[in-house]
Amino acid sequence: MIRSALVILRKDLLLRLRDRSVWLFAFVVPLALAFGFSLVLPDPEDFELRAGVVDLDGGEVALGFTDELLPSLVEDGFITVRSYRDEETARVAIEADEVAVAWVLPAGLTDGIVAGAGGRIQLLANPDHQLSSAVARGIAERFAAQIDRAALAIGTGQTHTQGALEPEQVERITATALDATGLVGIDELVAEHQQLSEPSYLAAGMAIFFLFFTVSFGVNGFLAERQEGTLPRLLVAPLRPVAVHIAKAMGAFVMGVVSMAVLAIASDLLLDAAWGPAGGVAVLIVSAVVAALGVMVLVASFARTAEQSGNLLAITAMILGLSGGVFFPVGTGVLGTLALASPHGWFLRGLGDLAGSGSFTATLPAAGVLVAFGVIAAIPGAIRIERWAHA
Amino acid sequence: METPLLSCTGLERSFGDLKAVAGVSFEIGEGETYGLLGPNGAGKTTSISIVAGLLAADAGEVTVAGERMHPRATATKRHVGLVPQELAIYPDLTARENLDFFARLYGLDKARRATRVDEILEVIGLTDRATDRASEYSGGMKRRLNIGIGMLHQPRLLILDEPTVGVDPQSRNAILESVENLTTDGISVLYTTHYMEEAERLCDRIGIIDEGLLAAEGTRRELVATIGEQDLVRLHVEGDASAAAEACAKVDGVSSADAEDDTIICLMEHAGGRLPALLQAVNDVDASVSGVEVREPDLEDVFLHLTGKALRD
Repeated sequence: MIRSALVILRKDLLLRLRDRSVWLFAFVVPLALAFGFSLVLPDPEDFELRAGVVDLDGGEVALGFTDELLPSLVEDGFITVRSYRDEETARVAIEADEVAVAWVLPAGLTDGIVAGAGGRIQLLANPDHQLSSAVARGIAERFAAQIDRAALAIGTGQTHTQGALEPEQVERITATALDATGLVGIDELVAEHQQLSEPSYLAAGMAIFFLFFTVSFGVNGFLAERQEGTLPRLLVAPLRPVAVHIAKAMGAFVMGVVSMAVLAIASDLLLDAAWGPAGGVAVLIVSAVVAALGVMVLVASFARTAEQSGNLLAITAMILGLSGGVFFPVGTGVLGTLALASPHGWFLRGLGDLAGSGSFTATLPAAGVLVAFGVIAAIPGAIRIERWAHA
Repeated sequence: METPLLSCTGLERSFGDLKAVAGVSFEIGEGETYGLLGPNGAGKTTSISIVAGLLAADAGEVTVAGERMHPRATATKRHVGLVPQELAIYPDLTARENLDFFARLYGLDKARRATRVDEILEVIGLTDRATDRASEYSGGMKRRLNIGIGMLHQPRLLILDEPTVGVDPQSRNAILESVENLTTDGISVLYTTHYMEEAERLCDRIGIIDEGLLAAEGTRRELVATIGEQDLVRLHVEGDASAAAEACAKVDGVSSADAEDDTIICLMEHAGGRLPALLQAVNDVDASVSGVEVREPDLEDVFLHLTGKALRD
């Protein structure tokens, strides 16, 4: 049976190689689209945080933020900072897109910390600059965390820590916090919040989007054989009928894996869009192809002709791709939740997790979901097709 | 017949409420060409699909070379080659690639594959075009390739399902010649057609099939003899042909008289002596005869006699 399936697979791959539309869907269009998108979207290396700061406090802690921390980040070249006299002025600057975000250090910030009551740094942000907002929030949070840690460390070293801290203690807290300013790395924050770079996200998005079309060529193969009249000739040959299905599935799988692998390598080389460590990417690619294969087999089982099947598969690929957020990062809101109903969303999430942690194991949850997508869809799909083929 | 190569017994197959084959039985001997003759929808394609192991029968049994045939009988399928009615070739592969693919599928080893592919290309006259894609061939060349694939693995039984449908006269003749040559190689042939001339030319025996049943079978001579020693008379009439046919049927010696448009087709004994009575009968219903044709009956007439309808209905 496997020998027969391999003979059919060999023939199918030869036919696919001669089919220009497969080349277009599997390689050319995804790369071209990813390249096109990358031209209009910012490169992460060009990322610059345009920030404002409003110091209504003027105390030791606020000065530590405005005169010590921020200048050190400006020196690193990732950030520009403008000072505003009050919150309203900062809001106007944000609306005018002079800056993307602004930190407001409220009056009494230092006093609150000195009194042991803590303090709060307010962040004003333009909703159109989500990455800038996330990075600015990260800077503020890490600064606050350092202040808290320093205060706690000093507080626990006191024999009597009731009430307010002494002025020298405040100085030590601020100094300790500022010693740790190296911990606030913009590149790290960008990676944490964005995970995949824009070109990588788009290249991977286009790849998974067109993967479903590529796989559909193979899945559609059984119906195409029937339409072209070659299916009876295959079925009277000395092979088990299931060998034809196995061959078609193997063909779709091979085409899917090859197209994804080529796109991963090509987007890295041509678009500087690395998907992540090779092992994790490979796991996700194979899982995504399994998912695509299963879903497309199920969809194809509802068709009776190759043309009908082609239309259904294209519609499905389009809907899943759009809901999976292949054209733009969907974040964590409603769109983010919707994306998780699609294999596309899980694939991109898996790559994001991989990029965020760098660990192979980070891909396993997404890979597991992708394989489950494929298996759960493939079983009823295969049963339906088998019943129909012998009806 | 000695031990038959193909034996079909009581084949039945339904599709929903439609009984496509309702108890067909026949046998084919080694090197024999057997024709299934019947109009479209008679059950020919369903019958051969069961014989080829493409469809399972609801009832009945098929054996080829003593082995039972069914859709999962991979060993038995090696004895059978099928030439489907529709072209079953890959247009984006060359003739050589098409043949090579099916040779692999039938498990021919490398040396035998190369030999058989070359032999078949020679037989179907495509050696010079072997490396051109099939999409670039003429209709006749595609038909020849279609037949060549069926013969490739040297089956003991070759099934051809109306291979000349939609083929130009020149290619049709070439196909018929190649089928004639098959039996000289000892291959048994099951040939379906609704062209009476093809059945008469190619087949040693013919089964007449209609509405899923085998109405009669035998050699051409045997089938024609079922009509008896009768002549076929065609009367071209002016006037009410139906009324004239009814009048003709009452003439002594006439076994059947059917009207088709302005023609009455009569089967009768000793037409020469009874023709004046036939003409008088037409006259009696106020119709007149504009032409008369008398000849021996053929398979078309046998079919009409057995089923009451023409082959091309």
